[in-house]
Amino acid sequence: MGTAPTSQSDSSSPGLPAVDWKTDGAYDELYESAGTLRPHWRPLLDGIGRIGVAEFTDRWDEARRQLEDNGVTYNVYGDQRGTSRPWQLDPLPMLIPAAEWSRIEEGLSQRARLLELILQDLYGEQRLLKDNVLPPEIVFANPSFLRPCFGIDLPGRRWLQLYSCDLGRSPDGSWWVVADRTQSPSGSGYALENRIVISRAFQDIFRDCRVHRLASYFKTLRESLQALAPAHRDTPRVVLLTPGPFNETYFEHSYLARYLGFTLVEGADLTVRDNAVYLKTLEGLQPVDVILRRLDDTFCDPLELRGDSLLGVPGLVQAAQAGKVAIANALGTGLVETPALKPFLPALCQHLLGESLKLPSVATWWCGQEEALRYVLDHLGELVIKPAFPQAERGPVFGDRLSAAALAELADAIRARPFNYVAQESINLSAAPVWANGRLEPRHFAFRSHLVGTGADDYSVMPGGLTRVTASWDTLVVSMREGGGSKDTWILSETPVAPVSLLPPPGEALTLRRAGRDLPSRIADNLFWLGRYTARAEEVTRLLRGTLIRLTDETGQELRSELPVLVGAIRGLLDGTAPSPFAVPADKPEALETYVSHAIFDADGPTSLKGLLDALRQGAWTVRDRISVDSWRILNRLDHDLAPPRPGDEAPWGEVLIFLNEMIVHLAAFSGMAMESMTRAHGWRFLEMGRRLERASATASLLRCALVTVHDPEDPILSGVLEVADSSMTYRSRYMNVLQAVPLLDLLLVDESNPRSVAFQLALLSEHVDHLPRDEQQSARSTEQRLALDLLTRLRLADMTTLAQAGRPGSRHIRRAKLDVFLRDISEGLLALSDAVTQNYFSHSRPARQLTQRRIETLTTYASPDSL
Amino acid sequence: MKYRVKHTTQYDYSEPVTFCHNKANLTPPDLPSQRCEMNRVEIRPAPSVSIQRKDYFGNTVTFFSMHEPHRKLTVTSHSLVEVRDPGPVDPAATPPWESVRDNLRTNRSHELLHAYQFVFDSSYVRLTSALGEYAAASFPPGLPILAGALDLMARIHGEFEYNPEATDIATPLETVLAQRKGVCQDFAHLQIACFRSLGLAARYVSGYLRTIPPPGRPRLVGADASHAWLSVFVPGAGWIDLDPTNNRICGSDHITLSSGRDYDEVSPIRGVILGGGLQAMSVSVDVAEA
Repeated sequence: MGTAPTSQSDSSSPGLPAVDWKTDGAYDELYESAGTLRPHWRPLLDGIGRIGVAEFTDRWDEARRQLEDNGVTYNVYGDQRGTSRPWQLDPLPMLIPAAEWSRIEEGLSQRARLLELILQDLYGEQRLLKDNVLPPEIVFANPSFLRPCFGIDLPGRRWLQLYSCDLGRSPDGSWWVVADRTQSPSGSGYALENRIVISRAFQDIFRDCRVHRLASYFKTLRESLQALAPAHRDTPRVVLLTPGPFNETYFEHSYLARYLGFTLVEGADLTVRDNAVYLKTLEGLQPVDVILRRLDDTFCDPLELRGDSLLGVPGLVQAAQAGKVAIANALGTGLVETPALKPFLPALCQHLLGESLKLPSVATWWCGQEEALRYVLDHLGELVIKPAFPQAERGPVFGDRLSAAALAELADAIRARPFNYVAQESINLSAAPVWANGRLEPRHFAFRSHLVGTGADDYSVMPGGLTRVTASWDTLVVSMREGGGSKDTWILSETPVAPVSLLPPPGEALTLRRAGRDLPSRIADNLFWLGRYTARAEEVTRLLRGTLIRLTDETGQELRSELPVLVGAIRGLLDGTAPSPFAVPADKPEALETYVSHAIFDADGPTSLKGLLDALRQGAWTVRDRISVDSWRILNRLDHDLAPPRPGDEAPWGEVLIFLNEMIVHLAAFSGMAMESMTRAHGWRFLEMGRRLERASATASLLRCALVTVHDPEDPILSGVLEVADSSMTYRSRYMNVLQAVPLLDLLLVDESNPRSVAFQLALLSEHVDHLPRDEQQSARSTEQRLALDLLTRLRLADMTTLAQAGRPGSRHIRRAKLDVFLRDISEGLLALSDAVTQNYFSHSRPARQLTQRRIETLTTYASPDSL
Repeated sequence: MKYRVKHTTQYDYSEPVTFCHNKANLTPPDLPSQRCEMNRVEIRPAPSVSIQRKDYFGNTVTFFSMHEPHRKLTVTSHSLVEVRDPGPVDPAATPPWESVRDNLRTNRSHELLHAYQFVFDSSYVRLTSALGEYAAASFPPGLPILAGALDLMARIHGEFEYNPEATDIATPLETVLAQRKGVCQDFAHLQIACFRSLGLAARYVSGYLRTIPPPGRPRLVGADASHAWLSVFVPGAGWIDLDPTNNRICGSDHITLSSGRDYDEVSPIRGVILGGGLQAMSVSVDVAEA
């Protein structure tokens, strides 16, 4: 252990980055002694030296853009816009040499086996309590001991299918376990994403450093989860149960689900019938064999566990008790996360395994023992005091930060219920280098390892893991929540490493599959709305662009006659009001521009473009694992730097126009991506139907707003409509520069060859509804089929000349009354079609209560009063 | 004494319930002083699935689900139960409460280890210093445990007003203690909390009272619905049931239905429904001498 020189380059390697180094007594991961690198860092630093700091920085900038594009995030609860905190990754990996790793690996798998045996005992015979090996308070006073899960006969007889453990290194160089994660360990997906980014950016260095690959771990994970299935052994359905997009590690849930090929589900997607678990899909209920859960124990079943949680699946404990479903980890495994268990692990290890504990825990005193209590009270000012049982809603308290009075109060609280407290030594975590503005600086680090149970009571350890570093050198709190960063972790091999892939080996025959049979209804619903919002954003953007171009053209003249029409159409789309031209009060000519500003920037709900884009992104979040990475990248670019113009700006709308132009391109790219890259499964159809419905109603609404009242002259109006509907070119190629209502209606309403026309949308809608899953027994057309066909037929039979006839010739306001009625009926028909799709496919409650409600299902928990 | 018990719970919904999952604690157990000769749980409409299993505390629990829409759910439990008065225990002959506390903490015999889990906090019973102070007044040093328990029960009975309007299921114990009002469930939780604050083991019991009192005896409070009391662990005598609502040691008038750490673990019916709109619930209990 030593302190390296500060602020200087390592003179032995000319291309190396500068270091700004200190360790303040912490173990030094980088230097053996002043100026002497630990040898296992040499290949990495040489590699960086070879490409040079400039190149390294360039590649890293590129990789960071990729991370942002991929939407890698870590959510922070309670943060309104928290779904978008970017993931912090450091380009320098943490390195662990082979010999050291094999000792850690042995210690980890021993610890997993030990915790498994403890769980088996405590949820079964409880010999450990009877034989006085473990104080009973640790179980009986522990809210994580879930009595409804007692005695469950587990498939595979394993409680701890997955295990994670946080390790840190103390000043003497030894590794300590800081925390055990046993209910739904997170981090493996982030470890994988970190690896993919770093190994791509620094492919050459990665190859030269002989790093163990992670894929083998995920292969084992997938196989061992599939092997848990109590039935359908050949083709088990495994789902990943997430609390939803607002969970802090939701990115990881969707990432892992996709990587492992499991369906990502929320509690509401699952239902228990006949003591078995089913997935609610468009094609009915599909049996679920294995649940990889990312929900904490107590949230999993409102019937038998926490009654106030609606994230879980009612009846899940009973299904587990009946042995019809395997859950990883089994419900109740949170019990061994308690820090109060740590002081007893050495004795438990001897007792259960006949071995000494290889990986020690950070020094922990459980105050339920008199000797420990005395020690803790004597040293309160130096220790970290924590609740013994993690569910108790109190965080750690650092004794050295408390006043004398606060310490005395804490001591009293501990004396009153000693078994509720543990005290731990705070470790001066070791110093690992991070990349800070082209220099290496020290940060404290902790490492999260991941294990998965394999056959025959053993565990396989991921050769790697998630390294987390403190936000600065001056804090010891390693937490992504508190702004810390992460690193890839390279376990170095002494021999060349063979690549492993999750793809099956060449030559193995694959079972052919066609996607789409297990689309959860909730996902279909969300895709449908994503389609609607995307199309609405596109229509609004086009209208706004048309408006702004005309506003910026203005040079002190009167408002151009088409502006109220365009703005009226915008308002109709955003507010859902009946389309009519925007009325500009004679005394307030600025009202129109004020509304336009509101329609772009106002952030309250989807009644502005900004709000619409927020809703669009939120909607996209909920279906992340159904959207391709490239599509996701496009969505991520949607709202960069959208700020309202300042008063007094020379050209107030200039920047906004540029933004709108970019938006039109991005939205078109997103549509194109869906068209070209999504398989024509049900998910795609719902996205498409949403888009087609929205465009049909937007076009009908624009025509109604523009053409029902006949303006004189009508040319500027007709020209504006053609421009917004992206049909000017087609019109001019057919009719030159003669603008008339009849040919325009023909082109935008009924011409099925024009992808912007209402009839074009309905022809597609009609085809989509024909392909939706439906009851084979029914021969008659479904409601949505009838509605789509009716609308399409009406358009096909309509006569444009009749519709364009205007009444009351000679009067100042001439109206096309027939067109008004026709377009109103079309709009209402489209609304009915949307409701029919919602009712038949997105609701599993029979009968649906209200067509307008998006969330029809509500779960209620009740208990009978026992009083009187 | 032999009883025929009919316990009916009915739910009416303003809109159809599309499915429900339920857990019912409606089967009386066999105990040293009680024998359940017959029990039948009738569910209308007929459930799609219904099974029974023993829970962690040994209660027989009926799990049932319905997958068809319904607007009404009726659960009726019929039982034939024989209850024997466990006979008097001399409070002075029970051990000092501190020795019981220490014994629970250190003795690992089957009986004491089992009792020990009823010493700690549970969902509805969370200790506060006010509860501890209230309890301490009944337990001067060296007092035999049952003497202290009876004194505590008498205080609760005397100082607390029985008032069904004052509390609901969610009312925390601090409030019950502060306002000195509540119902049988609150009094049971309160006395349990007092015992636990001293390191003694106490559990919650749900059950029934005989509806018609014996000739010449007053009708007990809580006789027309399900009732709740508690049980305290006394080494040598076992679990002794106390009814603070009526200030008495339970004898052959009390029929035990189930027991656990608190109400949360033994509520007669607990369920999760989908849909249903507004719901109305009615309970009737009829306990007749057989």
